Amino acid sequence: MVRQLGELEQAVMDRMWSWDHPVAVREVLEDLQRGRNLAYTTVMTVMDTLHRKGILTRHKEGRAFIYRPALTREQHTAAFMGEVLAGGSDRTLTLLHFFEQMPAAEVARLRDALDGRVQDETGTGQ
Amino acid sequence: MIAPAVLILLAVILAVPAPVLLRRSTWLERSPRIGIAAWQALSASLVLTVLLAGLALAVPEIPWTTNLAEFFRACAMALRERYATPGGAIISATGAIAALAVLARVGYSLTRGLVGAARNRSRQLQALAIIARPHRDYDAVVVDHSSAAAYCLPGRRRQVVLTSAALTALDESQLAAVLAHEQAHLHGHHHLILAAADALQHAFPGVPAFREARIALSSLVEMLADDAAARRSDRLTVATALVRLAEHGLTPVAALGAGGDSAVTRVRRLVRPARPLGTGKTIAAVLATGALLALPLFLAIAPASAAGTMPPCQADTSTSTAMHT
Repeated sequence: MVRQLGELEQAVMDRMWSWDHPVAVREVLEDLQRGRNLAYTTVMTVMDTLHRKGILTRHKEGRAFIYRPALTREQHTAAFMGEVLAGGSDRTLTLLHFFEQMPAAEVARLRDALDGRVQDETGTGQ
Repeated sequence: MIAPAVLILLAVILAVPAPVLLRRSTWLERSPRIGIAAWQALSASLVLTVLLAGLALAVPEIPWTTNLAEFFRACAMALRERYATPGGAIISATGAIAALAVLARVGYSLTRGLVGAARNRSRQLQALAIIARPHRDYDAVVVDHSSAAAYCLPGRRRQVVLTSAALTALDESQLAAVLAHEQAHLHGHHHLILAAADALQHAFPGVPAFREARIALSSLVEMLADDAAARRSDRLTVATALVRLAEHGLTPVAALGAGGDSAVTRVRRLVRPARPLGTGKTIAAVLATGALLALPLFLAIAPASAAGTMPPCQADTSTSTAMHT
């Protein structure tokens, strides 16, 4: 169920991000229903959750809420990855980085370490 | 009173000079698995030593004898004598409380760390569900991002995460090496190794042994995963993949170079041919690791069994006189 909701959240956000205008639940529902059968309340719940998470913002227009993404897809992704890469306090517990982010000077040292091997090989080859 | 004193001395040795020695030994990175075991044994041995020191204070030395009736009588006598003297009761209570406090502190830190990590992972998985796409060919999800990165979220819903920049930066064999590296982390449950080390470091901040263990273990698990990846591809491919990711993963903030030294060590290690430990050295290392764990137990039991060779009551009086002086 959690997984399905996750997929639905993704489906909703895909549409919200591709459309350039604020929308009501009804509009998202109609577009989603081309692919599958969904209840109005299901989509409303998902969009309410996304609003609670701060991913969607909304304002009331007449009797319905009109939703729009709080950030563009790029901004949202950048914010998420920025948090992951900069590392929270307990990053090491959550993720095992293949590589820590490092300053340019460190990368240069890395490249030297790698080149050292290549030069060694050409050196012994001659 | 010999056992507690010796155990406290051992605890100090394990906490301060032992990690310096272990850090300097070059064989750790030649066989990361043994290196991990050695650091874990050091940490475990230190905790065990402190626990046993507390217990040895709490419980008077009981003469060790195979005659059960005799043994219980000796226990009762020793305890009665211990609690008959006010100083003895205080020492016993201090020892018992210290041992309990250490246990509780480790348990609390470990639980808090694991619960926090699980919550964080679940939050990340929810966020990824919205922005990440499954990779077409591999068991991984891809996030659109201009900084090359690859990492894994361990746990029940384990997940390898790649950024689109990482896919651009790596060729097919390098990508396979990176994925093998991440899978090695997940299959080896490396996050639990780090969680335990983290818990000890948080529980007793300022103890050099735990701080050093945490640093050493985080780089040793990376080396272990590097080796696993190198078995699937080859060492130079893994090293190249590392450097390619670093080159394309630059952040504007230069302050995040904490992993730099460890990364350089990993690349240097990979570009050199593998030098696994020989059988002799492996056996020696395994035995030393076992001895490290057995030492506190031996020191806690030895004085009691030595006391067993003496008549019970005499052993008790010697304990209590030692206490009064």
